[in-house]
Amino acid sequence: MLRASASVTETSIDIQGINGDITAAAKGIEFGPELMRFAESLARRNEQALADARGELLHIAGPAVLVDAAGVAANFQRMVRIADATGIPVDNLANDVSQKIRKELDLDSFSSAKNSLETASS
Amino acid sequence: MTFSYSDAPYPVREDIKQAHKKFWGNLAQPGSWWTGAQRIAIAAEVRNAVDCEYCQERKSALSPFTVSGKHRQDGILDETAVNTVHQIVTDQGRITQAFVDDAAQQGLTKEHYVELTGIVVAVFSIDEFNRALGVAPEALPQAVAGDPSHYRPEHVSSDTGFVPMIPVDGAVGNERDLWPTGRSANVVRALTLVPNALRDWFSLASAQYLSLAGMSNLIRDDNRSINRMQMELIAGRVSAINQCFY
Repeated sequence: MLRASASVTETSIDIQGINGDITAAAKGIEFGPELMRFAESLARRNEQALADARGELLHIAGPAVLVDAAGVAANFQRMVRIADATGIPVDNLANDVSQKIRKELDLDSFSSAKNSLETASS
Repeated sequence: MTFSYSDAPYPVREDIKQAHKKFWGNLAQPGSWWTGAQRIAIAAEVRNAVDCEYCQERKSALSPFTVSGKHRQDGILDETAVNTVHQIVTDQGRITQAFVDDAAQQGLTKEHYVELTGIVVAVFSIDEFNRALGVAPEALPQAVAGDPSHYRPEHVSSDTGFVPMIPVDGAVGNERDLWPTGRSANVVRALTLVPNALRDWFSLASAQYLSLAGMSNLIRDDNRSINRMQMELIAGRVSAINQCFY
């Protein structure tokens, strides 16, 4: 969806921001590094890093951005658990774009990839 | 007042407050397969799981089966339900078909499993929102007495994932509101064995992220202070850390 949004808005981005590359997150996305650090510290349950990232994001982007970012991060803490708890495969695994992004981000190495890859090969 | 966020140092959007409050109201009610008291006990286990030392040991082990111990728990739910809640919260990437089938053998039917999953992910997500903002978790509600409805959708199939789901063309009758356009995705279908679990996540996702209709807007939602690229960077980073292939 990041790539799709960038494409629609004709923005040049580096998708490696998703893998934690600060330089990549900064490219084409306003507050990209700060948003990335905020999301990362929440998901890693690093409370000191979260407090720091919260303060940094608040300082540079303001409270409305902080609250909306918290909502999105919390939402995706839920979504990954729905997907993995129910073992759903990716809908469009054979799609060219899907395959390209999987390769770029090395998604096939994720533990939950088995739910999609085994389904596709059966 | 529930979810007033009066202790938050930042103003929280009204629709987020209302969505969280609405879920808390639903949580206290008898569900499809669990009573209100049991649903709240599941919510309490979500919070126990976060600090459960046994979960941390298991997660760091090469195989979770090589570690023995006991979960930090309140003792209201049986061991299978407690273990399932903790697994979803702390190590969801290692849930397998065998895990779900074994739980069913122990009495946690697929219907119970799906409703439990829906509660776990909703409570966890609301708590994570508070934690992200540095706000204390909301007190759990008081249970409303009553029996579960035992409602099961008429059309379900077992051809996707670990649990039965409504097929794409099966959202009819009482379930016709689930995907009115006739199009769906596996993540939407995932909890449909208990349709109200999907309705709960639609409600929360609409406030925390985007509504199903709003997801087609790849530029910016007028009611959000961050654009879609910023949203998806956050979503992608959280999912990558959680090793979520989906």
